[in-house]
Amino acid sequence: MQVRFWGTRGSLPVAPKAGTIADKVADALVAANGRSFADKAAALAFVEDDLDFATGRSYGGATSCVEVDMGEGPFIVCDLGSGVRELGLDTLRRCAQEGRPKEWHIFLSHLHWDHIMGFPFFVPAFMDGAKIIIHAGHPDAEQALRRQQEEISFPVPFDWLKADIEFRTLETGREYEIGEVTVSVILQHHSHDSYGYRFRDRDGKVAIYSTDSEHKIDQMHDENDFAQFFGHADLVVCDTMYSLADSVSMKEDWGHSSNIVAVDLCHEAKARRLALFHHEPTYSDADIQRMHEETIRYEELTRDTDALEVLCAYDGLCVEL
Amino acid sequence: MASTLEWQVDKRDGGTVVAASGRVDESTATEFAEVLGEHAETAGARLVVDLGGIEYMSSRGLRALTLAHRRGEEAGTKIALARPNETMREILSISRYDMVFPVADTIEEALAS
Ligand SMILES: [Zn+2]
Ligand SMILES: [Zn+2]
Repeated sequence: MQVRFWGTRGSLPVAPKAGTIADKVADALVAANGRSFADKAAALAFVEDDLDFATGRSYGGATSCVEVDMGEGPFIVCDLGSGVRELGLDTLRRCAQEGRPKEWHIFLSHLHWDHIMGFPFFVPAFMDGAKIIIHAGHPDAEQALRRQQEEISFPVPFDWLKADIEFRTLETGREYEIGEVTVSVILQHHSHDSYGYRFRDRDGKVAIYSTDSEHKIDQMHDENDFAQFFGHADLVVCDTMYSLADSVSMKEDWGHSSNIVAVDLCHEAKARRLALFHHEPTYSDADIQRMHEETIRYEELTRDTDALEVLCAYDGLCVEL
Repeated sequence: MASTLEWQVDKRDGGTVVAASGRVDESTATEFAEVLGEHAETAGARLVVDLGGIEYMSSRGLRALTLAHRRGEEAGTKIALARPNETMREILSISRYDMVFPVADTIEEALAS
């Protein structure tokens, strides 16, 4: 199983400004300290090996879209944030080059705009012969997708899409066999509800997608259910938008969680890896990198036995499970 | 084996100093929250949580501090944290709890903060 991140930003797409790139280039030149490079490959190796992530690269700015890929069978996609535009093109390339079936199973965490805004730009939806099945815990998923393509918002109405598009409402507390995976669903605290997903492949590898999920301070006992749902997962993709202090003070009831609670849940679940996700749109690359370093440190400080590997999701990251 | 915390309570002028020792994790967080919450309602102007004997605290322990703070608000009790070890100091910083609670090196400073 491979988990590929096409969009990792929370709430609103962001893009670096001219000054952001100028800063990175300047920092890289200072770090190079007059070194010369034989060719671009040597320069790229320097970026890879000697520069920190926030200087040499970027976490990206597309909103939530994560692919759970078995390498065969239909495509499995979590959320339709702005990252799904690129996923659409790349999966079509794989259909052409690798003979993958033109079938996409979409799993929606919820219907907030940042999680559906990419759909009008999802090229397979425009194609005859494509099959798209949109799974959601919400019975009103179809209404949300149709509404964003009403004439006041978008020039192409939903009914003009040529793909065969079907909506299925999933229930919690049971398992579904879909494509190459077994899927189960958990209800999460968020405005108009959200749902987390557990994907298990035939080799028993497990990936969890849990975004836009607030773990409420006055309902801490509910966290046992999440630890169980995350149980022994190979990768948990978790909403870590705020600091713990923010999530219980100013930003309480905003529907998001913290890096600290994510680590605790993964420790309790005995999960192997955590991917920090749904990054705060006001955060710079340096801010996200610092949050990542601090989360690694918190994991070390509170670890009981087995280490939890803490990754920080970025647009373009692919994790092999 | 369920672990528990050991508690010491010291009433002083202008407040109460409560010290727990052990690890505040999933198994002890409920006890930590309940005992602290009760003290927050009766502590007087200031409840000093002496962290000197706390090995470390997970998010449940940190959030118990917030719950105690809320219970104390009605009674007019303010909470201050004292004597965190290096680990606790780092956890307070990473969680940004050092931005919402005063953190002091000594009990006296915490009482006066
Ligand atoms: Zn979101
Ligand atoms: Zn949301």
